[in-house]
Amino acid sequence: MQNDSLQPLQSLQLIESMINKAKNNFADNGFLYLLWGYTICFCALFHYACIQWQLHIIPRPDMIWMLTWLVGIFQAIYLRKKDKQRTAKTYTEDIISYIWITFAVCAGVATFIVLNVFKLTNWIFMYPIILMLYGMPTFLSGVVMQFTPLKIGGVVCWLLAIICTFTLNVNALLLVAVAVIAAWIIPGYLLQKKYKQHHTTS
Amino acid sequence: MFKELDPILHSQLRLAVVSLLIGVKEAEFTFIKEKTQATAGNLSVQIQKLKEAGYIDVVKQFKDNYPQTICKITPEGVTAFEAYVAALQEYLTPNQ
Repeated sequence: MQNDSLQPLQSLQLIESMINKAKNNFADNGFLYLLWGYTICFCALFHYACIQWQLHIIPRPDMIWMLTWLVGIFQAIYLRKKDKQRTAKTYTEDIISYIWITFAVCAGVATFIVLNVFKLTNWIFMYPIILMLYGMPTFLSGVVMQFTPLKIGGVVCWLLAIICTFTLNVNALLLVAVAVIAAWIIPGYLLQKKYKQHHTTS
Repeated sequence: MFKELDPILHSQLRLAVVSLLIGVKEAEFTFIKEKTQATAGNLSVQIQKLKEAGYIDVVKQFKDNYPQTICKITPEGVTAFEAYVAALQEYLTPNQ
């Protein structure tokens, strides 16, 4: 590209093409949605199976959720590596990061409130709250990314949170699995497909 | 009477740089070079001109022992870009 002077129409075309180049560069590849979707889905179904069919594969059924710690560490390493490869930062990425940080903080504070203020040691009471919280970052990410499947996923989480209050038993774990399939796994694959299309056309 | 187009922005490469930066929070020199397909030498000169005009901020640092140049549009740059686009619209719709 040269630094010659331009005609007004050429200027507008150049502005449009550059804005599109910047925009197309930042499609989400859906990897983290799939990673967390499959992790939570597996943990919920494993936990359900252990309780429902009295399986003694691990000392306590809820210990399977410790798998999320390992995934959290893996995610931190993955994001660090991705950050090193990144040559530009967008406001969209920043906002989405803060939305998920807010979700993590809210989930931690909600757990604290349920355990310490309401003195509810039975985890079953946490599931409607967790489902409600899953909906918030999912819906907002969908709004920011203008990606309808995530918005639908967020709404599904909120509906399941209400349904969950009527089934405060082991079946709540099945609702968690359904929620992550709707909110993260399906949108994750759709994001991956969109990302591949972007990168083959650009 | 048409408004005069900002001479700093009315150049192909400088306008491309500012148009790219308007859509991102910040970008590395390598990103701008790849997207504009300009030569490193020419791009450096134009980035320097935009910096001198106060339209962009340039931060030079090291990342993993390699030099890294990060560019970011300033509020003055955003204002100038908006004024440039408004002036272009006047040129393209002269009947108004």
